[in-house]
Amino acid sequence: METLFANLALGFSVAFSFENLTFALLGAFIGTAIGVLPGIGPVATISLLLPITFGMSPTTAIIMLAGIYYGSQYGGSTTAILLNLPGEVSSVVTVIEGYKMARNGRAGAALATAALGSFFAGSVATVVVAASGPLLTSVALSFGPADYFSLMFLGLVISAVLAQGSIVKGIGMVVLGVGLGLVGTDVQTGQQRFTFGVPELSDGVGFVAIAMGMFGIAEIILNLERPESRNVMTNKVGSLFLTREEFRRAVPSVLRGTALGTVLGILPGGGASLSAFGSYMVERKVSKYRHLFGTGAIEGVAGPEAANNAAAQSSFIPLLTLGIPANAVMALMVGALIIQGIQPGPRMVEAQPDLFWGLICSMWVGNLMLVIINLPMIGMWVKLLEVPYRHLYPAIMIFCSIGIYSINNNVFDVYLMVLFGIFGYLCSKLKLEGAPLLIGFVLGPMMEEHLRRAMLLSRGDVMVFVERPISAAMLAIAAIALLAMLLPGLRSGKEKAMAEGG
Amino acid sequence: MKINQKDLLAGLVLLAFAVAGLWLNLDHTLGTARRMGPGYMPMLAFGVLLFLSVTIIGLSLFNGPDPLERWAWRELFLILAAICVFGLILEKAGMIVTLAVTIAISTLADRTHKPLGVLGLILFLVALCWFVFIQELDIRIPVWPTYFGP
Repeated sequence: METLFANLALGFSVAFSFENLTFALLGAFIGTAIGVLPGIGPVATISLLLPITFGMSPTTAIIMLAGIYYGSQYGGSTTAILLNLPGEVSSVVTVIEGYKMARNGRAGAALATAALGSFFAGSVATVVVAASGPLLTSVALSFGPADYFSLMFLGLVISAVLAQGSIVKGIGMVVLGVGLGLVGTDVQTGQQRFTFGVPELSDGVGFVAIAMGMFGIAEIILNLERPESRNVMTNKVGSLFLTREEFRRAVPSVLRGTALGTVLGILPGGGASLSAFGSYMVERKVSKYRHLFGTGAIEGVAGPEAANNAAAQSSFIPLLTLGIPANAVMALMVGALIIQGIQPGPRMVEAQPDLFWGLICSMWVGNLMLVIINLPMIGMWVKLLEVPYRHLYPAIMIFCSIGIYSINNNVFDVYLMVLFGIFGYLCSKLKLEGAPLLIGFVLGPMMEEHLRRAMLLSRGDVMVFVERPISAAMLAIAAIALLAMLLPGLRSGKEKAMAEGG
Repeated sequence: MKINQKDLLAGLVLLAFAVAGLWLNLDHTLGTARRMGPGYMPMLAFGVLLFLSVTIIGLSLFNGPDPLERWAWRELFLILAAICVFGLILEKAGMIVTLAVTIAISTLADRTHKPLGVLGLILFLVALCWFVFIQELDIRIPVWPTYFGP
């Protein structure tokens, strides 16, 4: 307990340094902005800003990037409530009840519920991260290469199972990502693999090029082909204060949402959007006021908004303790850390206590900032919503272009981004998910390394994966997850949940 | 038989990747399970992908119908062309000129743009990029045309 306080004291001293405060605020600000704006999400933004962070200290860089992620969860709800349009995928379900509340003249109350619910959930999840981090880390340190391989395998399976749409296609994208991750120089033999003699590929396919192409550029084209219809309820935000009745109804939903989001956020492939869907389903089943759903029930805003923010925080747990990304944003964080020369994994708590505890404390500080950014300054974000998309996409496009060029000062990366832009567009037309590909891409090289080491240690005996209890347990869970999704009942349940949510 | 066209094509795309990957992997030594060569993991990954893509194609013959959607070729072409032009002329023409050209091309993708609005947008974004990337971040990128220079 004492060490926890000492660690938190260290964390707060890091988080409250002028530089880190500034960049946490900047991250929260940018996060809210892109959360509010439909058509640009945290994955595209973080990959966009990744090159800029190279010059910063690792801690500052991660603090800012994290701020963008959880900031976007706050901003997304504003658009959902005022515009009947999700600002982020994770606020898709907030639209359903939130917009109805706005039409009932309770837009202010809905916004306040979303922001305060998110703040509560964020605070709780931050405590969970702080408490579970060192605990899990000590477990993870006893992991051998075989255990790591199985853990990553499990992560990939779960991220594919939880992805929207077909599981086989999800796993296909994961495996394709693993394959893409193997492009470049083989670490052990120095042999060039799949590089076609292109020197730029010898370091592997640019991670930022994939993320920007598939999540930034492809998204622009998808947005352009959809006609824009906006109907901002600018002048009807109303009082931000909740009535006593509304407060009483929101509290249990926030609590349930927080619990659900914290758990689902840890799961690979879970993250913010799945938690919001899950929470909405739970609220509709168990809330005392479920008969009011569809008429602007505050539970339908409080639960999902708490859940998505809790998940945004708790998805840092696998990253910080095991070095395994739970979703596409965390995959970007892995990329950011590796570029900074830090190998994410269980040794990070010991080797980089500043980063670990500073990030955790800055999350709480950032959440506090976000309540202030989002509630009193709501008028500014409403103004931002009036910027039409036709003015926005050229800006996104050139920021992507300059950003990708500046990484290596090489136009090759620009063309690579174009290539992945086409591929991303193709994928979304064929309902192939981009997020599993990104996770597979990050995990692929790590899996190869652990597989090689495990097999070397076991002298080529595959049984090592089932003889080691940790590894065997991971593989068993993965098998159960796969088998469970083959059962028709569960599968249709998942599809139904997704369909109702979307 | 209700063919799911999206899944069928998705399966074919993944199949193409798997076959290409396995074929290119012929150049790499596989090694043994104990001492894996550079070709071992790619063989596993693309082998699994081959199996999955065939499964997707097989399933797609029954779980349809899900017809293909129309592509926004015009928008796709204009946006990608704008970025390619960015890559082509940046190092010669410098950031300012390149951005103006790139933005101008990209605005063609949305028919609601008006000439004066485009001009304003170009001026605003060029100024913004200059401030953010040159003034604040000081990234190494040519600002002015160097074509006629030494």
